[in-house]
Amino acid sequence: LTIPPTVHIVDDDASFLSATARLLRASGFTVSAFGSAAEFLAGRETDAPGCVLADVQMPGMNGLELQAALAQTANPIPILFLTGQGDIPSSVRAMREGAEDFLEKRAPKEQIVAAVERALARDARERDDRSRQQALRARFDALTKRELEVLAHVVRGKLNKQIAGDLDIHERTVKLHRTAITTKLGVQSVAELTRLVDEADIFSAKD
Amino acid sequence: MSAVTIIWSMFASACLTMAVIYFLVWYRSRAEWAHLWFSLLAVSAAGFAYAELVMMTASTPAEFLSAMLWAHIPLFVWLVSITWFVKVYLAAGRTWLAWTITGIRAAFLLPTLLTGVHPNYLEMTGLRHIQFLGESVAVASGVPNPWTLVGQFATLLIMAFVADASITAWRRGDRRKALMIGGSVEFFIIAGLGSSMLLVWADAELPIVYSVVNLGLVVVMAFELSRDVLRAGELVEELKASEVGLRESEERMALAVEVADLAIWTLDLDRNNIWVSDRWRELFGYPASERLDGEAIRQRVHPDDLPAVNAAQERALAGANGGAYQIEYRLRMPDGSERWLSSHGRVETNAEGRPIRMRGASRDITTRKRREQEMLLLRQEVAHVGRVSMLGQLSSSLAHEINQPLGAILRNAEAAELFLNHPSPDLDEIRAILGDIRKDDQRAGAVIDRMRGLLKRHGIEARPLDISDLLSEVSALVRVDAQARQVTMTLDVPRDLPAVRGDRVHLQQVLLNLLINGMDALADIRPGDRRLQVSARLNGGGTIEVGVTDSGPGVPADQLAQVFEAFYTTKASGMGMGLPISRTIIEAHGGKLWAENAAAGGAVFRFTLPVVQKETAPV
Repeated sequence: LTIPPTVHIVDDDASFLSATARLLRASGFTVSAFGSAAEFLAGRETDAPGCVLADVQMPGMNGLELQAALAQTANPIPILFLTGQGDIPSSVRAMREGAEDFLEKRAPKEQIVAAVERALARDARERDDRSRQQALRARFDALTKRELEVLAHVVRGKLNKQIAGDLDIHERTVKLHRTAITTKLGVQSVAELTRLVDEADIFSAKD
Repeated sequence: MSAVTIIWSMFASACLTMAVIYFLVWYRSRAEWAHLWFSLLAVSAAGFAYAELVMMTASTPAEFLSAMLWAHIPLFVWLVSITWFVKVYLAAGRTWLAWTITGIRAAFLLPTLLTGVHPNYLEMTGLRHIQFLGESVAVASGVPNPWTLVGQFATLLIMAFVADASITAWRRGDRRKALMIGGSVEFFIIAGLGSSMLLVWADAELPIVYSVVNLGLVVVMAFELSRDVLRAGELVEELKASEVGLRESEERMALAVEVADLAIWTLDLDRNNIWVSDRWRELFGYPASERLDGEAIRQRVHPDDLPAVNAAQERALAGANGGAYQIEYRLRMPDGSERWLSSHGRVETNAEGRPIRMRGASRDITTRKRREQEMLLLRQEVAHVGRVSMLGQLSSSLAHEINQPLGAILRNAEAAELFLNHPSPDLDEIRAILGDIRKDDQRAGAVIDRMRGLLKRHGIEARPLDISDLLSEVSALVRVDAQARQVTMTLDVPRDLPAVRGDRVHLQQVLLNLLINGMDALADIRPGDRRLQVSARLNGGGTIEVGVTDSGPGVPADQLAQVFEAFYTTKASGMGMGLPISRTIIEAHGGKLWAENAAAGGAVFRFTLPVVQKETAPV
């Protein structure tokens, strides 16, 4: 599981594309170059780590549209934008949508390399988070539907009596569920349970 | 006093009066010979009347005979003048016949004058007295002289001559004259001849009363002539009126020439003589004293314009455009100043079509030319401002166009540095990098050149150019802008279009303007429906038509013409100069620019440009 992260460069200007690819390759990155957003979306390895370095203005799907499309995929790797000129509205929108950076095409090499490294690091971190979250979520898969309901109440700090009342079940049944939950998840305390739920982010993800 | 004496005296004096009147009429102009002949005719009638009177009142045969002999002189004049009067007045009749008549009558008279032998009577037998008008008048009787026949033959010739002349005049259309003069002459001659034959051959009981006949003829002729005199009077009046009219129109012409500030000239080609008006001399700066010739005039013409002036003159002389001569050229005055002239003229030819003179009018148009030049400069300035402001609108596109290659160069250079840091640098890679750097540098340079071209001030310099190149170039310029505005731009241009004549920069300006306008018109349209199409096609009539069609809301029908007015704009920051400038540019190229609405909605701006003739097409 040591696939090297790939920097995907997307630019309709062939000359700039090859120059940037050359530089990043010389700087030690693994690089793949695409002449358009569509080409990239179709040609990338869906699960591989990496980041995207895209031109904002491109014929067909432009950079911002690419960002939106990428966000919908299972592997939303970070995106960095390059632009010919400072386009404030585009950059604001890009950053709000979670772009890693918004750089001028002629920004210093160091800035670009640093931004790419940052993006790759973020990707690694996010991939980590995602895989840990997935592992955590897998632990919650053992719980029954009722147990999950009880758990939701527990992490909100409700008492057994309140939970019994809310779910219209017996208080002893609540206790039985709680025991099952802690056993299945292998936690000792409510505090630990709360942290686990937080990390797995199961409720916010489902709400 | 007897009635005969009174009547015959009256005949004579009436004839004499008319003779005097018509002699004076003739004498005044000495042109109408018919008047002189008539005057002679009337004098002879008077003379004859007198002779008759003497004969009628003669108391002895000798007295009678003598009077009769002398009467032959007025008779001769009478007959000859009738002949020549008819000849001159009707302008007809055979000349040889007239001379023959004159000759015969002269021959008839001559022996009488020389020998004294009476042409009518060989011998006078006696004098009788008969009653005539209530009194006794003398009538001769004797042995007729056959010689009389000669005279009467001449009279027959006169009748033939007059008949012939009248017919000619009649056929020619002078029917009135032919009838009046010819008819009366024939009638009175027959009457006279008849009476004379009766008298001489039949010894009739009749006095010699030719004068009655003669007077009748004189009266008819006088009446006829008076019509002419009256007509002449009318003609004089008419002539006066037309002279007044002529003077009036001359004055009008002079006023027009003065008001229009025209310098008039005439060139007599046969004598190589030049006549010019004062204003002309003033314009060309030649004092009235100086003699003019073609060389002097050529010296004034600006050397740069001389070939054109010569060519225009040669064309006119060769008969092109019906011999019309028209040219605008400069004069170079002795003080070095320049003066613009507009000269219009015409070659006049003789009946054979050979040019004999040229006539024309020239006008000083220096002020107009100066204003035109100022307008041209102003227009160029406005066009330039238009381009500058358009470049402002395109600045993001242009920045992109330049940043792209510059960015590529920078990245390549950085990459090369990194490669060189290797212990064993990949030289092939570095060589490739340098090649790419050069390519991108040229690319950036081309963008800057294009921009500089648009920013430069210059007049329209028409050259053959390829319209599809121009369209793709301009589309490339706005491509980035179009992408940013999410406008789909399509180019529908056949590759095999002939070249047009035009100025690249100015036409780029027009196209940029139309494309930017088109994109502006799409601002309120849903992004997916923002379309801009550029098309070109070969039109009939040797033009190429270029159209820029947008999918916007279109132009309200009542504003299709208005959009070309200066300061008309629908944009918050628009100057309203783009379309007026564009139209001026296209019209300066000999084309047209107009707006219409597309059937499918949206506006179309179309312009035409003339196609270059084959021989000047670019290689």
